[in-house]
Order: sequence, then C-alpha cells, then structure tokens
Amino acid sequence: MTIGGLLATAGQVLLVMAGAPVLVGLMRQVRARLEGRAGAGIAQPWRDLRKLLRRQPTTPTGTGWAFRLAPLLLIGTSLVLAAVVPLLTTASPLDPVADLFAVVGILALGTVTLALAALDTGTAFGGMGASREMTILALVEPTILVAVFSLSARVGSTNLAAIVTATLHDPLRVASPASLLAAAALLVVVVAETGRLPVDNPATHLELTMIHEAMILEYAGTDLALIEWASAMRLTVLLGLLASLFLPWGIAGTSLTALPLALLAFVVKVTLLAVGLGTVEVFIAKLRLFRVPELLAGSFVLALLAVASSFFLA
Amino acid sequence: MTDISYPQYLDLAAGLFLLTAVGVLWRHQLAPMIRLLGIQGVALAAIVAILGIHQHSLELILVAVGLAVLRAGVLPLLAWRALGEAPAQARETRPVINTAASLLAAAALTLLAYAVTRPLVALAPSPATAVLPVAVAVVLIGFFTLVTRRRALSQVVGFLLLDNGITAIAFLATSGLPLIVELGVSFDLLLVVLVLQVLTGRLRTTFGSTDLDELQELHDQ
Amino acid sequence: MTSILLLLAPIGLPLAAALVYAVRGWHARTTAWVGVATTVLLAGDAVGLAATVTTGGPVQTGGGLIRADALSAWMLLGIATVALLACWASPAYLATDHTSTRRARWYGILLHLFIAAMATAVLAGNLGVLWVAIEATTIVTAFLVGHHRTRPALEAAWKYVVICSAAIVIAFLGLVLLYYAARHAGLDGQQALDWAALTGHAHQLDPAVTRIAVGLAVIGFGAKAGLIPLHAWLPDAHSQAPAPVSALMSGVLLPVAFYAVLRVKAVADPALGAGYLRILLVILALATLALAALLLIGQHDYKRMLAYSSMEHMGLIALAAAIGTRLAIAALLLQMAGHGLAKTVAFLSSGHILHRHVSSKIVDVRALAGRMPLLAGLFGLAIAALLGFPPAAIFASELGIARAGATAGLTWVTAAGFILALAAFAAIITHTGRMLLGPPHAPTTEDRSDPPAAFTIATAMPLIAGLLGVAALGITLGPAAGLLQSAASIVGAP
Repeated sequence: MTIGGLLATAGQVLLVMAGAPVLVGLMRQVRARLEGRAGAGIAQPWRDLRKLLRRQPTTPTGTGWAFRLAPLLLIGTSLVLAAVVPLLTTASPLDPVADLFAVVGILALGTVTLALAALDTGTAFGGMGASREMTILALVEPTILVAVFSLSARVGSTNLAAIVTATLHDPLRVASPASLLAAAALLVVVVAETGRLPVDNPATHLELTMIHEAMILEYAGTDLALIEWASAMRLTVLLGLLASLFLPWGIAGTSLTALPLALLAFVVKVTLLAVGLGTVEVFIAKLRLFRVPELLAGSFVLALLAVASSFFLA
Repeated sequence: MTDISYPQYLDLAAGLFLLTAVGVLWRHQLAPMIRLLGIQGVALAAIVAILGIHQHSLELILVAVGLAVLRAGVLPLLAWRALGEAPAQARETRPVINTAASLLAAAALTLLAYAVTRPLVALAPSPATAVLPVAVAVVLIGFFTLVTRRRALSQVVGFLLLDNGITAIAFLATSGLPLIVELGVSFDLLLVVLVLQVLTGRLRTTFGSTDLDELQELHDQ
Repeated sequence: MTSILLLLAPIGLPLAAALVYAVRGWHARTTAWVGVATTVLLAGDAVGLAATVTTGGPVQTGGGLIRADALSAWMLLGIATVALLACWASPAYLATDHTSTRRARWYGILLHLFIAAMATAVLAGNLGVLWVAIEATTIVTAFLVGHHRTRPALEAAWKYVVICSAAIVIAFLGLVLLYYAARHAGLDGQQALDWAALTGHAHQLDPAVTRIAVGLAVIGFGAKAGLIPLHAWLPDAHSQAPAPVSALMSGVLLPVAFYAVLRVKAVADPALGAGYLRILLVILALATLALAALLLIGQHDYKRMLAYSSMEHMGLIALAAAIGTRLAIAALLLQMAGHGLAKTVAFLSSGHILHRHVSSKIVDVRALAGRMPLLAGLFGLAIAALLGFPPAAIFASELGIARAGATAGLTWVTAAGFILALAAFAAIITHTGRMLLGPPHAPTTEDRSDPPAAFTIATAMPLIAGLLGVAALGITLGPAAGLLQSAASIVGAP
C-alpha cells in the first residue's frame, strides 16, 4: 500500500461523490441547449439534492425493511464501486477487490435492492418497474461480464487494474477487434444500466414507459436524495470504467506527482463521454419496450464475439 | 505495412466483416440491411487487399478492386433497385424467429464456426487462416438469414451474405481459386442476383407482394 | 485434332442453336427444327467421343479444362439422347400451348443454353468449371420453370433458384476447402481442382479438411440431384416447367448433378477410405427413398407423382453409389440412362394429358385408355418402364444394384431401400391405374372454347422412340457395353 494509492483512492471517491450530480446536470444542460432551451444550469441536481436532503422521508404504510434499507444499500454499493474501480490510479489499496466479478456483483446488488424495495411498496407501478428492470438486468449483467472477460482473456487476469495496466503498456491493443467489439457492447449496457435513452427516459414520468422512475415513485425526502445521488454516482463510475478500459491514458500508478494529471484526464474523459451521450440522446427516440431486449441481445452478441475473437484471433 | 501490424489490420477487417453480418440480422428495415451488405463488400475487398499487400501480389490487389466494385457496388445496387420498386409496407422484414432470438442464434453459430474450423486452421496456421472462423461464421449467419426470413429481398440478402462468406474463405485459405473459376463464379453470382431481381418484380406483379408466406400454391395434398 | 473437335462440339452445337433462336426467333416451320438438327449432331458427336475414349482412353484439351473419359462420354450420350427427344417434342408442345413468339424465342434460347451447360458440366476437367456449369443450369432453367408466368409457376421458379443456388453455394464451399487441402498436398493452382490430378494425389490430402470438404460438396450437389435435405424445389419445379423442360431436368439434370457427386467420390474414397462417404450416401439415399415413398402414397397430382418418382430413382442411384463396387456403379449408370429415357417419355405424355384435361389432378383424369388409347398406352408403358418391368433397362439395373448390395455386405441396407422403393411402386401403380382405367365420366374438355389438338402419330414419334430406346438398353447394350465397363471402373472399387 502506498501513500499515493491511498490518496488517489480517497480522491476518486470524493471526486465521484461531488462530481456525479454535476455530471448529470451537465448532460441535462447539453440536452437543453441542443433542444433550444435555456436549461437549469449544471448545478441544478445539487440544488435538488440539497432541497431533498432537508426534508423528512415518508414511508408508505405496509412497507417493510426492504423499502427502508434500499437507499442505504444503494448508496453504499455506489461508494464501494467508486472506491474499487480504477479511475484515477491502478495502485489502489483495495486492488484485490477490484475484480471483474466482484464489481459486477456489487453493481447487481444495488439494482436488485432497488427492485425489491419497489416490490415492497405493493403498488402497480413499483411492480411493473421492478419487473422491467429485472428483464433488462438479466441481459445486462452477463453482457458486462462477457465483455470485460474478453479484455481480461489476453491479460490473464480478471483484475480491473491489471487489465488497465496491460492496455497502458500495449496501446495498439485498443484497436483490436476484440477491444472494439467489447467497447461497443459495454457502451450499450452502460446506457441500459443507468437508465438513459434509448432504453429508459430519465426525464419522464409517463407511466407506460418508465422503468427506473417507476421503482422510486414512492420515495421522498432524504431517501429520494440518496437514491438520485447513488444513480448519478453509478453513471459516473460506469462512464469512468469505460474510459479507463478503452482510453486509459493519463491514469496514475503509485506516484503522487502523476495524480493531478490523472485527475484532469479523468475529468476530461468523463466529461467528453457525458457530453457525447447527452448529444446522442437528443437525436434518438426511446425504443419500444419489447425492442429493448433486441438491443441488449445485440450487445450480448457483440460481447460474445469479442470473447471469441480475443481467444481465437490471438 | 509492417509484418507486425498485418495480423491486426486483417483482424480489424474481419471484425467489420462479421459485425455487418450480425447487423443484417439485427436490423428490421430492408434499406439498412442493404447498406450493411455494401459495407460488408468493402470489408471483404479490404481483407483481400490486405492479403495482396502482404504477399506483394498485384493480382490479388486487382481482384480486391474487382470485388469492391461487384460486392460493394453492383450487387447492393441491384438489391436497392428491387427495393425501390417495393411499396412502403414491404420494406420491413418479418423474420420467422424474433430478432433477439436470432441474435443469440448468431452467437451460437459463431461458436459453432470456431469449433468446425479447427481442422482448417490446424492444417496451415497463419494470421490469414486464423481469421477463417470469422468467414465460416458469416456463411452460417447468411444461411440462417436465408432460412428465417420471409421477404423475398431479405432472402436475397441472406444469399449474398452466404456468398461473401465463402469468397472470404477462398481468399483467406488459399489466396483465391484459379482465375477462370473465380471469374465463372462471380459471373454466375451476378446472374443469380439478376434472375432473383427479375423474379422479385414478377412476384410482385402477380402476387401483389413479395411476402413469401403468400407462396402457398404448391404443396402436397 | 478430331478429338479436340469432338470435345468442343457438344458445347458449341447447343450454343450455336441458342444463337440461331436469338437472331431468328422461333418459327414453327423452319427454326423450330434447328434444335432437333443440332441435337442429332450432338448425339453423333457423343457416339464418336464414346468410341474414341473406349479405344484410346481419356482425351483432353485446353490444358485439362475440358476432358472426357468413359464416364463423361456415357453421361454425354445420355444428355444427347434425352435432349434429342425433348427438342423433337418441343414444336408440338409449344404449338398446343399457344405460346407467343416472344416467349417461344426465349424458350429456344434458354433450352439450348441449358443443354450446353449440362454438356460443359460432364466435359469439365476441373471441379471448379464443373461447379460453374451446374450453377449455370440453375440460372438458365429459372425462367424455363417460370415459363407460364402463373402464380404456381413463379412460386416454383423462386423456390428453385433460391434453394438450388444456396445448395450449390454450399457445394462451392466444399470445393474451396478441397482446393485448400490440395494446395497443401503440393498440387499447384491449376491442378488443385483438376479431378484427374486430385484423384491421383488423393492419399496426400489432409483427412480432416477433406472430410469437411467432401461432406459439404456431396450435400450441395446432392441437393441439385434431388436428395434430402434440400430437395423441396424438385417437385415444384418439375411439375410447373413445360413438359420438355421437365423431361430434361428430371432425365438428365439430376444425373448430371449426381455425376458431380461421383467425381467427388472418386477423390474422397482413396483419401478417406470408403466408409465415410458410404455412410453419408446411405443416410441420404434411405431418407430420400422414405420421403418419396411417403409422399407418393398420398399424391393427388400426376406431375408431382412423376417428380417424386424421380426422387425415388435418385435415392436408388445414391444407394448404388454407397455400395460403390464396379457392378453397383455400372448398374447406377444404366439406371441413370434408363430412368432418363423413360421419365422423358412419361413427362412428355403427361404434358399432352395436361393439355387435354387442363388439370394436373389425378382425379380429373379418368378412363384415359378408353378415350385416347395411343396416349394412354405410351404413358402406361413409360410408367411400367419406370417401375422396372422387363424388358426396360431399369429392370436390369435394379437387379444389378440388389446383387451388388448383397455381395458388398450391405444386404440389410439394400433390402430397406428396395422395400421403400416397393412402397413407391405400389403407390404409382394405384395412381396410374386410376388415371388409365375405370369408368369414363363426363369429359372436362367439352366446355373449352378451343378443342385440343389431336394426338397424332407424328406427335407421338419422340415418345415411341424413347420407349424403344429403354427397351433396347434393357435387352442389350451392344457396343456400349465396353464403355459402361470402363466408366464403372473409374469410380467403382474392384
């Protein structure tokens, strides 16, 4: 364990906590401007959070521990993710935990908790949202596993930091078919996992189409704030993971001096990805719900092809 | 091109080649399917051109140019013309098996392709033969498209996928067949597509659509 | 020099005929007979070629691209004979069918291109050229199948082109892999698809690759020969095409496609041992026979009945190829010839029956023997020949297949094959009996505005000639016996 690694890990947790709402604000702002609206400014999600955090949460009658526990578990898993995924450094003291399977497991844990909480409310919308979310999860999780697995096959390790380091040493690897296919697959599942267009529309409460919003309909006050915050953090971490896996340049090792550069590189990369995502969202419509599995099955095939090519073309 | 990057370029072209085949299964509209077919033609020509540059063979590079004209130009154009005459509601495919299942089937077919090509790769291991599974996968996906699509035109697209795959196998495994066979095959292929285009037109005038479910005049009983 | 001329003429003569039709069109009194003239010359050429290869062994030209041995010569004789009968019957068919001059012109062009493509296939010295020729037959016959432009005809044409092209492309994949194996066995580019060179170097081919290659090639070419699993085009195409075209497709196109299987077999057996292809062919043969028998039993349509009967015969031929001894191959070749002639007569007469009844349903044809004894007699005799009644050649050949199967240790398989053939036999007899015999009912022809043309002796001449040919082949091969022996020894194991 080095002091640089420790600092960097602490820094990336703080950065994700502070930056995640800004990132969401940025994407909304990009979208607003492209649609010709003034927009609320990139700090608006923070203002919303502040407002919600001051309010008392309400619990619907008849709900049990699953409903009350979910916001805490969700924010907890998000924080763990922010700590273990190599965003700023590859020399994190939590390195042994930064295993592909562990990360996917933690990610799924958060999603499942939320779905259980939605079922717990016993309302029609909660159940509907949970069932839809599980349909998507069933295709998303294997895709993430298989896609990252294709990257780990060449490295010989499922440790995320090891994969990132190997890519740093051999930059040509990024242009290999396996890597490109995996990148495409991961991009699609990140979009699905974070509930963005074309899979889910984060800005709507239209009952027939919503997925994520349907699950958190019964939350209020602090609980809602935690959930919104956790969602933003998950989006940030996943975009950061994408950047680290496919554009690892600038990421710091053990040295302290590289840390400011790594910080800057991370902010730039994630901002660019977010702006790109926000821009694309303007031009596409939400998919009909029954076509979402097609999209996800497509990304699963891409991931599978990535594995196949990383094994057989190597 | 250096010898180190040669397998990389080849892999990249082959990756695009396979991806377009999967894309054809994924899309619902006929127009993007034909566009993907054109891109696949370019990828095929690129594979042959990379092989030609690597082997310093002018003949292969010329063949690549010919392939680009035929597979990325003439054949998609013929399909495009057949599409242009179609009424709007006939522009969407109606697969027998739904798209998500077809995509999973494509994944399974790719793995099957890797399994069956092992003896082929084992006979002469090289960067070129290492890509053979990709070409075989395209053949299988093409055949799958041919069997599971109901529109006349999407069957034509499936047939062309099948043929692109086989051409890729021919070049990857052996750097091409004797010229006379190659010419004969290309000419035959062109004629088949022309015949199919004419038949599509006649089917449309006679049946009023190119939905092959309508073809039920002939059966036993 | 003469041998080169003999080799090139079978391709050139039909092409010349096609050119005449393209330039001059189809005229009932003049150009209609050009086809007959060229096919007579073609038949003469085939006899000359047969004599040359029997005495002097294989001949070749064009650096081995065009080559003929006894097997090619035997196939060419079959093509020429059936083509002669089909061309002879064509003017009468087109006249009764009221074909417009434009369509008649295309009919003439495509029919002769079809014959040229088949001749090229059997004379090709290179498996690649053989493939190109067989695919060319699909292309030229597509519009012949769709000649009538009715809904069923177009449907049949579409299925025919899509299924056959896909199947034949699979065969091409097999050839590509065979070429790959041959290149790595030390053959150069020109030789690596040359069947003579391939057969010579078969021992050096990589067995694993050759196994895949041969499997794909046999399934692909087998589909074109009407074998399972890609057989679905056959009954549709054969029942919708004009009668002379059906005759050519059934009588020679199927055998020509099977000829490609035989050439592949000649490479595969020394490379992989006889067992591999034997198992594959036995499965294909028995499955084809079973399907044909099943569909024949419930058949309602006499043209489809003839088509399924073709599948049944191709199943027996595949069974003979699986047995693979010289006797079996000789019987197979004789079966091809006998079936070609008899099926030609059957299809041509069914064309006349269809013209007089408008319907191809078996129930619509009753008591034909009483109303039209000549036509009924010819149809009945052709069916009898197909079923293997002596003196037809098929009697001798099926006897040969049965004997060869018993001596090669495949008694049970052969027995199963013949039991299935017997079921088909019974079904065909029942259906034919219904058509020819029985009490007459009100003929459907009377409501027609234009009465059908009379069935005269002149119209019947090609049919009679075909039946005489089958009978003659069954009694004696005459001078062709030597040719058959050497053809059988090319593929058959001793």
